[in-house]
Amino acid sequence: MNFSPSNKNWARVALALRIVLGMIFVYAAYLKLHESWRLFAMSIDSYQIVHSVFLETWIAKTLPWLELALGLWLIAGFWLRGSATITALLLSGFFGLMIWAHFKGLEIDCGCFGPGEKISWITMLRDGSLLAGALALAAWSYFGNRRARHSQPGEVAV
Amino acid sequence: MVNMKLCALALAALLGALPAFAASTTTAKGRGYGNPSAPLLIELYSDLECPACKVFHEKFLPQLMREYVDTGKVYLMDYIMSNHAHSVEASGYAFAAARIGKYNEVANALFFRQPEWSANGKVWDVVAAVLSPAEQAKVKALAKDPGVIAQIKAENDLGRTKIERTPTMLVLRGMKQYHFEGSPPWDIFSGFLNELLAKQ
Repeated sequence: MNFSPSNKNWARVALALRIVLGMIFVYAAYLKLHESWRLFAMSIDSYQIVHSVFLETWIAKTLPWLELALGLWLIAGFWLRGSATITALLLSGFFGLMIWAHFKGLEIDCGCFGPGEKISWITMLRDGSLLAGALALAAWSYFGNRRARHSQPGEVAV
Repeated sequence: MVNMKLCALALAALLGALPAFAASTTTAKGRGYGNPSAPLLIELYSDLECPACKVFHEKFLPQLMREYVDTGKVYLMDYIMSNHAHSVEASGYAFAAARIGKYNEVANALFFRQPEWSANGKVWDVVAAVLSPAEQAKVKALAKDPGVIAQIKAENDLGRTKIERTPTMLVLRGMKQYHFEGSPPWDIFSGFLNELLAKQ
C-alpha cells in the first residue's frame, strides 16, 4: 500500500477510521458499564478460557474502562501510533477468541456490546472489519504519516 | 436380590436428598416453585435428556432453590422441552406423574439416571422404579392423555419462542429480562441476583 504522506486521501481515511473506531469503543464500553459487571463476567466465563472467578471478575471490571479510555484516546488523536497499535492488538485478541469459540462449536454470547448477541458470521464479519480498520490505521501511523511517525506521546498526529 | 434392594434403597436415599425440586404448583404450562409474589421471577427451560441440564439440575439448581426459592426471594417457573430422541416420552411420564403429585420424584430420577435411559431408551424402567404399582398404572394411562400430550407441545412451543438451547434461565425483573445459558459461575450469578434484589 502506498501510504505516501502527500496522499491527503489517506489522511482523511485515517481520520475517519480513528473517529469511527473510537466511537465504537466508547459505545461498547458504555453498554458494558451501563449494566452490572457481573453480566460481562458471565459472558467471559462462557468462552471457557478463563478458569478463575477472580480473573473473570478482574477482566469484567477493567476491560470496559480500558475500552472507554482507548476510544477517547483514538478520538483525541494524540500519539496515534500508540492508540492504533493497542487497538489492533486488542481487536486481534477479540477476533481470535470469537473465531476460536465459533469453530469449537460454542453457541455463546459474544459479549462485545453487552449481553444478548450470539457469535455468528455477522459478528465475525463486523469484528474482522474493525480489525482490518485498526490494522490499516496502525500501518498508516507507522509508515504513512510523517507527523505520526515522528510524534511523541502527547502530540496530536492527524 | 439383596444387591437390588440395596441399590433401590441407595437410589431412594439419593433421590430424597436431591433438593432440586421442592414443593411445587403445576399450572397448564410449567411448574412454579416458591412464593409467586417473590420480587424476582426465573423461568427455567431444560430438557430431561440434555446432559448440560443434568449438570444444571444436580449442581446449580439445588443452590438456587436453597438460597433464593426456598427463602422467598425468587419464584421459579420450570418448563420442560423435548428436543432429544427420548425426551418426548420422558416428559410425557414426568407430566403424567405431575398429575398424581409425583413430578419431583420422576423428574429427579430421570435426571439422575439420564445416561442410562438416554443410551438404552428404557425410560419407563427409570420412571417405574420410583412409583408404586398403582401409581405406575395411573402414570402409564395419563401419559397417553390428550391433556398431557398437549402440555408437552405447549411447553416446547413456548420454549422455542424464548430460548435457543437448554438449559436456559430467564431472569425477569419488571420489564427487564436477562438471559443465561448453561450453568454460570455460582458466585457471580448469585451476586447478580443480590444486586437485582437490592434494587427492589
